[in-house]
Amino acid sequence: MGKISRRDFLKIAAAGTEAMALSALLDACGKMLTTSLPPREQPAASLQSPNPESTSETAPASSGTIQTTTETTSDSTGTPLLPPDIVVTRGGEPEALVRQAIAALGGMEKFIPRGANVVVKPNICVAYHTYEYAATTNPWVVGTLVKMCFEAGAASVKVMDYPFGGTQQEAYEISGIKEQVEAAGGEMTNMLSYKYVTTQIPTAKALKTTDVYEDILKADVLINVPIAKQHSSSRLTLGMKNLMGVIQNRGALHMNLGQSIADLNALIKPQLTVVDAVRILTGNGPTGGDLADVMKLDTVIASQDIVAADSYATSLFGMKPEDLDYIVIGTGMGLGRSDLQNLNIQVIQLDG
Amino acid sequence: MEKQVTVSKRGKRKIKKGQVSGPWIFLRKTVQYLTLAIFIALFVWSRQDGGPANLINIPMRMDPLLILANLVASRTFLAGSALALIVILLTIVFGRAWCGWLCPLGTVLDIFPLNRWQKKRLAFSDGWRRVKFDFVIVIFVAALLGNLTLLFFDPLALMIRTMTVSLWPALDRIVTAVEAGLVRLPILAGPLSTFDNWIRPAVLPVQPVYYRDGLLFAAVFLGVIMLDLLAARFWCRYLCPLGGALGWLSKLAILRRKVGTECKGCTLCTDICPTGTINPAKDYASDPSECTMCLDCLEVCPRGQTKFLPVFSPEKWTGYDPDAKEALLAVGVTVAAIALLKSAQPAKRQSPFLIRPPGVRETNLDVVAFTKCTRCNECIRVCPTGGLQPAVFDAGAAGLGSPILASRLGYCDYSCNACGQVCPVQAIPPLDLAKKRERVIGLAYINENRCIPWSDRRPCLVCEEMCPLPKKAIQLEEAEVWGPDGQRVTLQLPHVLRDVCIGCGICEYKCPVSGEAAIRVYMPQVEVPF
Repeated sequence: MGKISRRDFLKIAAAGTEAMALSALLDACGKMLTTSLPPREQPAASLQSPNPESTSETAPASSGTIQTTTETTSDSTGTPLLPPDIVVTRGGEPEALVRQAIAALGGMEKFIPRGANVVVKPNICVAYHTYEYAATTNPWVVGTLVKMCFEAGAASVKVMDYPFGGTQQEAYEISGIKEQVEAAGGEMTNMLSYKYVTTQIPTAKALKTTDVYEDILKADVLINVPIAKQHSSSRLTLGMKNLMGVIQNRGALHMNLGQSIADLNALIKPQLTVVDAVRILTGNGPTGGDLADVMKLDTVIASQDIVAADSYATSLFGMKPEDLDYIVIGTGMGLGRSDLQNLNIQVIQLDG
Repeated sequence: MEKQVTVSKRGKRKIKKGQVSGPWIFLRKTVQYLTLAIFIALFVWSRQDGGPANLINIPMRMDPLLILANLVASRTFLAGSALALIVILLTIVFGRAWCGWLCPLGTVLDIFPLNRWQKKRLAFSDGWRRVKFDFVIVIFVAALLGNLTLLFFDPLALMIRTMTVSLWPALDRIVTAVEAGLVRLPILAGPLSTFDNWIRPAVLPVQPVYYRDGLLFAAVFLGVIMLDLLAARFWCRYLCPLGGALGWLSKLAILRRKVGTECKGCTLCTDICPTGTINPAKDYASDPSECTMCLDCLEVCPRGQTKFLPVFSPEKWTGYDPDAKEALLAVGVTVAAIALLKSAQPAKRQSPFLIRPPGVRETNLDVVAFTKCTRCNECIRVCPTGGLQPAVFDAGAAGLGSPILASRLGYCDYSCNACGQVCPVQAIPPLDLAKKRERVIGLAYINENRCIPWSDRRPCLVCEEMCPLPKKAIQLEEAEVWGPDGQRVTLQLPHVLRDVCIGCGICEYKCPVSGEAAIRVYMPQVEVPF
């Protein structure tokens, strides 16, 4: 290192301080800008449930969602026929299960506008076990979705989750998801502390303000890929609970977990929810670690309606949608439908 | 700006410190910077997902002070420690070349030559030099009595500790703050994302890690650097225990500085010498215990009278080398101090919240603090959650700088066994992951007066959710209780299964109660050594 005169040192120090002050200022401006925006804008591919019972009367008008009509459907598919509300595929390899399910919903093109920036949010909650232990989403389910996004013309596909046990890199690696995502051409994104944006949820009853990861807020399309698991406080962790991975400070939610999960779902609205039930975890969740708690079901549930997907998924555990607080509250808030008897459910049995 | 240190007697040639040049200086500086770069690279690579453990801890295993003191205290020889022989042999051939050419702390001191700001030359009596030698006596006598506390001041340990606890977290904070600003510029989103996905995981933590005493340890390190305001390489001259140990070994060094007969006494070498050991009163001779073999004098001598020649007889004891009386005093003080420390222990009893890294507890409650841990803090560096922290007062005076698991700041990651792998002296046993997962570090207990379901009568259960064990160590009991509003409510109340819990501390870390957690890890049985 060369010698620095005192003057030079002061100059450098002053420049450094300025740079930091400037960045802090920019940061502050950015926060002001982002918080004054409506929480989330749904891209055109968003689709309203065809059933008139759950339209905008109950849906929160101030949540900033753009209500699109069924015209979008006829435009993109070319037929006025409505796809099923929930597709369940059973008995095949993960890739086939996912492909069949999405095809039955109308194909990935329906969800992904050409050139869209897609975020896929699996459940990578811990770095402890490989996928066989059913603590983290099946890597091939995630990988197939990434592939299909690109096939549908996505510009970029980022995959991310913030594990609560172990580091991100470790969890990405051990879950096997990193390998499959990168093989499919997607990007495993590290979630950094500085990229959380404080966001208001106007319709919320419990979680009125929370820090949400910026990439999730900015994504054109969000695909939610939970794994179905037992979970003590909420009984089951499925699609709606999986979205907790995009916010900071999750511990505080637990005192009113059902309402908080529903509130979060009023803000974050995935265009597509794919519940991985290739393996499910029936006990000692959400962390797992005992193969005796794992059941291999070779099932995938896909829906545009996150509440509907979760409602159907309860049946895998011999439960009913009413058993889960967040489904009941979410249905009440108009986030989706849980009246399984009235929904158009298509079950596809694959011979695999 | 530059202070001219001296003018030669005849006023013909002026010398500014650090301005000597020549092939030897160039070579030395190249080696110094390269070594520092390797040291930093190995530090950066010291991560749970970083380099092989027996590669990243090589600097520690090369440090003869750490290794010999550990050998004396633990009475166990570890094959990997043989690397220290390299530095010992190097010293026997070249004297304290470690200090002048290799030591990363020495190089840092050379990079910040604060003594240039010195207005008036302060005269430090040579007697100060004895401090480092006394230090060596104290360290080894203490080691013989099973105490390694003062290795806290080993230069490599100082470096690793400061970099881990102070420098890197500060760097991370600065980088993150800059990123937080830059990310608002849309065109930088791409580069920033590339940085965060590819560069950051290799250099900085992805999830922020916090250290309690970053400021304190930064101050200690800054103090070491600031001492240079008093004299060049003050630390190396007067204080460094590794320097002292190598200095004594250098009495046997083969290559030694000799002054030729043609010397006219221009004092250039005296003025340039960074350790001030060239004595005009003794024909410009120097003490090999003090000389760092920096070769400044070789290059500065206008007549080529400074030579480095092989000598095969031990150097004589000097006035500031401790004599028998002084050595005996040092031994006596150490014995008394250790006796006091040990006699205070049973009376004091250790804090039940003193939790050690995984695998330590079974072997001996305080083997880490006393007979094995070299305070190098490599374990703290590799801990991915920041759960391991250097003790300040937590483990008593003797435990200074030893690793403790501070569960409120970080937890023992269920899928990590890095600390035991990287420990250069196996103070933390090198367990494979399956074994480490079974090791009991401590035991969680619920403070029912703070726990949300127990005292607030509201649902929570974060601890149960977080528990990483395949059969959860926290089980729930459903009970009908009075709710906060006077209604009967059904609540799930958490209980810890004492025989299942391993004390990893993730429950304490994640407990949403503010301040002291409602579930804490403690040591159920505290053994009192009598």
